[in-house]
Amino acid sequence: MKHFDNVEKFFTLFSDELYHTGRYLRRRQGVMPGAVVQQMFAMGYRSFPIITLITFLVGVTISLTSAAQLRLFGADVYLADLIGLAMIKELVPLMTGIMMAGKIGASITAEIATMKVMDEIDALRTMGVVPEKFLMVPRLIAITLCVPLLVVLADVVGLAGGMLVGRLSLGIPPLAFLKEVFRVVGVSDFLLGIGKTMVFGWAVVVGSGYKGFFISRGAEEVGTATTDSVVLSIALIIGLDCVFAFVLN
Amino acid sequence: MEIIRVRGLSVGYGETPVLENLDFDILSGRVTVIVGESGSGKSTLLKTLIGLLPPLAGAVVLDGRPIDFNSEEDLRNLYARIGVLFQNSALLNSLSLYENIALPLRIHRPDQAPAEEAKRVAEMLGRVGLQGSENKFPYELSGGMRKRAAVARAMVLDPEIFFCDEPSAGLDPITATGLDSLLKGLCRAHGMTFVVVTHELRSIERIADRILLLRDGGVRFHGGPGDLDKTKDPYVKAFFLRTANHDH
Repeated sequence: MKHFDNVEKFFTLFSDELYHTGRYLRRRQGVMPGAVVQQMFAMGYRSFPIITLITFLVGVTISLTSAAQLRLFGADVYLADLIGLAMIKELVPLMTGIMMAGKIGASITAEIATMKVMDEIDALRTMGVVPEKFLMVPRLIAITLCVPLLVVLADVVGLAGGMLVGRLSLGIPPLAFLKEVFRVVGVSDFLLGIGKTMVFGWAVVVGSGYKGFFISRGAEEVGTATTDSVVLSIALIIGLDCVFAFVLN
Repeated sequence: MEIIRVRGLSVGYGETPVLENLDFDILSGRVTVIVGESGSGKSTLLKTLIGLLPPLAGAVVLDGRPIDFNSEEDLRNLYARIGVLFQNSALLNSLSLYENIALPLRIHRPDQAPAEEAKRVAEMLGRVGLQGSENKFPYELSGGMRKRAAVARAMVLDPEIFFCDEPSAGLDPITATGLDSLLKGLCRAHGMTFVVVTHELRSIERIADRILLLRDGGVRFHGGPGDLDKTKDPYVKAFFLRTANHDH
């Protein structure tokens, strides 16, 4: 019963956010001016170093693991196909989503849960502010604007990792590597990667907001809610990725 | 004249009532103090009066019209007429004092010119003795300064009714006295109605025009400070230290 209540609360918040975002886009009210830019800085600028580092390392690791196998069959050049498709369609969206869950989701939950414990959410309500709009809409808009930039960056460094290994391990010239990548990866694959990551980003923001808004006890629960939000966000990302895999294949 | 009438009000969490069948009035332009032991339901009652917790039964009548707690419009109207000072100030830590105080203006008067907004914020900061602190953040201030800044934020829209939850909690006696004087002064200067939840006896003596004592899920005493000497209820006398001891 409790789990059913939680699911209901999550979807209620999710639908509220769709409604508030739609209203805000029609009429710019109920959100602090400049909040979207502030959130873009917090989400995008502060996340890009870790996202680029992780995707680069994933690119290198997958390439190293695959290169050894491909060399056995004399299929060295297919490393570019493998890395191109795997990184752009699957690994970059997944790794970016997971990094967002840890970096962005945790901070959203910690901030909102602390605000709730400190009565700041109630204070907002008594000022006639809708906290679910005031706090969440700038974050949803910011993540929507930041994701394409983060994905492009992650795609570039992920492929660079693969290209580096291809050059050093299999002697594939970078130009040949890129040519092969662009032969197998189309614009639709690239857009799919962005689309998937955007959905993961929304899931992270709404999931983290849900964990922050529905904190039930005092300050001691802020830490628990924060870790729970990371777990929930990652579970949502993997679940959604699975749905994408079923639908798109 | 009463600005708020409470009739047959039951408040609580879930299905469990904390206070039942309350009937009392809050008089316009007066300071009504809600008192009671810890756990007596003071804060729960306040949450209902400020529209954060729908009642289990009964009505809160504002200017002759019962508030529909499920109506967004009714709640918006209520919030436009009240200011609330929370126990721990509840200033937004991520915003400067200027932004904190300007926030209600930006929400309720989005078309206001920035110069007017700046003038109003400076005026409010001056009124609470924090002039020149616009660029400070809440975490840079002492507890007393945060409370005063929260008063400025709650009063920036000139509310008709000002609710305070334990205003002197966590403050030293001198700062608490200063805050009480500030609240009483603002009440007199602007004819505002104050509803204060507290259990600080000295604070009650300093500011109360009317006292509402909660006990055993209901109202045990409702009257002016002068009526305390006339009451024969031993619990009320003991609570306000009119007698040495009382066995609850």
